[in-house]
Amino acid sequence: MTAVAASIPPSWYLLLAATMFCVGLLGVLTRRSALYFLMSVELMMNAANINFVAFALYYGDLTGQVFALFVIALAAAEVAIGIGIILVLYRNFGVTDVTVPTEMRW
Amino acid sequence: MSDSSSGVGSRIVPVIAVAALFVVMALTALSAEFGAVTGFPADASIVHNIGYALFGLGEYDVTTVPAEGFLAAFLIAAVALDVAVDGAVYLAKREEDGSIVAAVGQALTDGGDRQ
Amino acid sequence: MIDVFSYVPAIVLLPFFSFLVALGGGKYLPKGGAFGGIAATAGSFLLSLWVLATVAGGQVANRTIYTWASAGGIGPTDVELSFGILVDPLSALMLVIVTLVALLVHVFSLGYMNDEGETGLPRYYAGLGLFTASMLGFVVADNLLMAFMFFELVGLCSYLLIGFHFREPGPPSAAKKAFLVTRFGDYFFLIGVVAVLATFGTAQFAGPESFPALAEAGEVAWTPGGLALDTWFTIVGLLVLGGVVGKSAQFPLHTWLPDAMEGPTPVSALIHAATMVAAGVYLVARMYGFYALSPTALAVIAFIGGFTALFAATMGVVKDELKQVLAYSTISQYGYMMLALGAGGYVAAVFHLTTHAFFKALLFLGAGSVIIAMHHNEDMWDMGGLKSKLPVTYYTFLAGSLALAGIFPFAGFWSKDEILYEALVHAPGEPLLFGGYLMGLLAVPVTAFYTFRMVFLTFHGEPRSATARDPEPVRWNVKGPLTVLGSLAVVTGFINMVPVQKVLGIEGIDLLHLWLDNHWGGIEGLSSHHYADLGPYSSEYLVGGEVGTVLVGAAVSLGLALAGLGLAWRLYGVPSPTEHTAKLGGIKDVLYNNYYLDELQVWLAYRTEDVAGVANVFDQGIIDGVVNGVSSVSLFGGNRIRRIQSGVVSQYTALLTLGLVALVLVLGVTGGWFL
Repeated sequence: MTAVAASIPPSWYLLLAATMFCVGLLGVLTRRSALYFLMSVELMMNAANINFVAFALYYGDLTGQVFALFVIALAAAEVAIGIGIILVLYRNFGVTDVTVPTEMRW
Repeated sequence: MSDSSSGVGSRIVPVIAVAALFVVMALTALSAEFGAVTGFPADASIVHNIGYALFGLGEYDVTTVPAEGFLAAFLIAAVALDVAVDGAVYLAKREEDGSIVAAVGQALTDGGDRQ
Repeated sequence: MIDVFSYVPAIVLLPFFSFLVALGGGKYLPKGGAFGGIAATAGSFLLSLWVLATVAGGQVANRTIYTWASAGGIGPTDVELSFGILVDPLSALMLVIVTLVALLVHVFSLGYMNDEGETGLPRYYAGLGLFTASMLGFVVADNLLMAFMFFELVGLCSYLLIGFHFREPGPPSAAKKAFLVTRFGDYFFLIGVVAVLATFGTAQFAGPESFPALAEAGEVAWTPGGLALDTWFTIVGLLVLGGVVGKSAQFPLHTWLPDAMEGPTPVSALIHAATMVAAGVYLVARMYGFYALSPTALAVIAFIGGFTALFAATMGVVKDELKQVLAYSTISQYGYMMLALGAGGYVAAVFHLTTHAFFKALLFLGAGSVIIAMHHNEDMWDMGGLKSKLPVTYYTFLAGSLALAGIFPFAGFWSKDEILYEALVHAPGEPLLFGGYLMGLLAVPVTAFYTFRMVFLTFHGEPRSATARDPEPVRWNVKGPLTVLGSLAVVTGFINMVPVQKVLGIEGIDLLHLWLDNHWGGIEGLSSHHYADLGPYSSEYLVGGEVGTVLVGAAVSLGLALAGLGLAWRLYGVPSPTEHTAKLGGIKDVLYNNYYLDELQVWLAYRTEDVAGVANVFDQGIIDGVVNGVSSVSLFGGNRIRRIQSGVVSQYTALLTLGLVALVLVLGVTGGWFL
């Protein structure tokens, strides 16, 4: 017997996730501070998590929720490394502006 | 940390790109067909089942909600988190006077006074 | 029973091996490869004598050795291209001549090059070896294409040997000139070879399937645009004649031969007197069955020959250098041979070829001896009085000069007289032939004059410089070949004493006639009476019938020769001769500058360069422009597109997003997601 039924059609969840993802992407593309950059990346990852959980409910399979857990864990790991990289960036360039280091160019 | 914005003009390309992506994703989402709805059983303990799934106990008759086994992924994620912490600590080390200085080491042994 | 003809390729290959030996190991050999060359040419000479004896015994050979392009539908007929040998009386005779002269020149080179301390000897002997091999290959060639290949090889060796002293400015320029002028003629020759192959499907010289036989029977596979057979044969004959004119230094392609005297004198003796320039005449003689079918071609040959004979003789009169006089003499004498061929005197031409090879090689080697003695000073006005100091050289040189001038009973008299006789009896009714005869006749006293001017200035009178008073002595390796050739210059005439036969009625002493008439055996269709039958000429005798004509002709030519000799004696046979030619004034300048023909050819070359300049502009501007344009598109495009990579990571991410959008759109549209 279905209790927690999926009364909201999954397309709404998908739209919500898409919106969050795009907002996060906009932040990645336009923010100049490295910390805001990281925050936007987090937002993108959580958008994907919403998708996972929505479909886990809809199809009655817990795989989606477990996967979302893993994503959260690895997002944390990634932020740890990311902060370390920002630290080194600051040491070498004096600012945390991501538009300042332009070594990977022609 | 305030972010100095240079106006919309220099950001037109990212905005267009993001808008296009959103449109595409929305169109895909709205035109997709999903299968039959199945929710979770009402009396199932979700957290317990998540635990069973994490440890790969699916073949023992304890699960009430179907899931895949994630034991290997669990262990690998543990290792990855471990590596991340070590990496973060290493990246944070400073080089001062030719020797590598760890912030923690200095904090614990400087007697509280900072020079 | 030993098949001697299977050794004929060895005649060609022995000097080739000496070339390889001299090239590879010459610097380790004691005389720089000379002994290898002498051994090889001696071996070839002995084999040639053996071949001659075999042909005299009645055997001949016309066989293919190696087919390098077999019949498979090239052109209108199935053409087969091969290497082979053709040994008949004519080629056997030529083999002996070439190998003998080559052997004597090799021995002479020991004295001229080695004893004089020349450097680069391995290169010299290698060049001589390769040249001998190429010339012998040309002589035994059984088809026109093989003959053409060896023709070109011979020209190459001439280039290499003329430019032997390449560090001085003169020789490389002369070598280039020789190669380019002969190459110009060889271009027409090549077209002629292709024409022969296309017309007859074969380029064989002899046999029932050879192209002269097919031409005689009128069986052609193809003519361009439906030309009449006679016209087409004439055109083909004249095309091949282009190569002959170039190689045998006839007008107008004679300009290279005097400059070729920049090469060492033994090279001049071998190549530019006896063998390479003989290649052209030999080729016409080889193909005579084809030329005999075309009266126009024969008339052209005769006229060119007669004209060249007189033309070159006039230029030889005013030259001051010893070898230059001999060079113009060579051009003139080959003019005589062409006159003979054009007049239907096949045997006369071959006879003169033989005697000329010997006495001209003798004269050049004698000049080499004088040059050694005079420490390489060639100006005749610095010589004089060498008669008593170089007796062997003097007497052999004198024998050669008497032969050249055509004085009885030396070799040149018999052959030159027969040429003029043949031209005379075939001339009535043929204006070009008669013109050629007159010019040839006029050249006789001029020849005698310049020859003896040369002899008197060099050997008689008082010495005019310190070197002439005290010349360097020459050794046996110089005197030996001179003696051999000197004797030959005296006796060679006796192999074909046609006037004696006709006047005294003795049969059988015209040995060369019988030899070339397949009397002792030969290939069907390549005999002189066959050519006479094919040819358009009939003999008309003057007063007194045949005997009378012979006597009158001989008397006139001998008289003119003696007159020329006498004039030279009077002017130059004095103790201190003066430059009498200066009295000719402006004419002397024209003659000395070779009628300004060299300047004309250079001018023509510059005009060709202008035409070539247009093609060059086209090549560089349009073709290169297109290629460079294509590459510049790539360069320019790349230069602009790389600026996308600005180094700012946000912009990279933006590009990522755009790419993702595009990809998803494409996938969605083609996958039918949205429809």
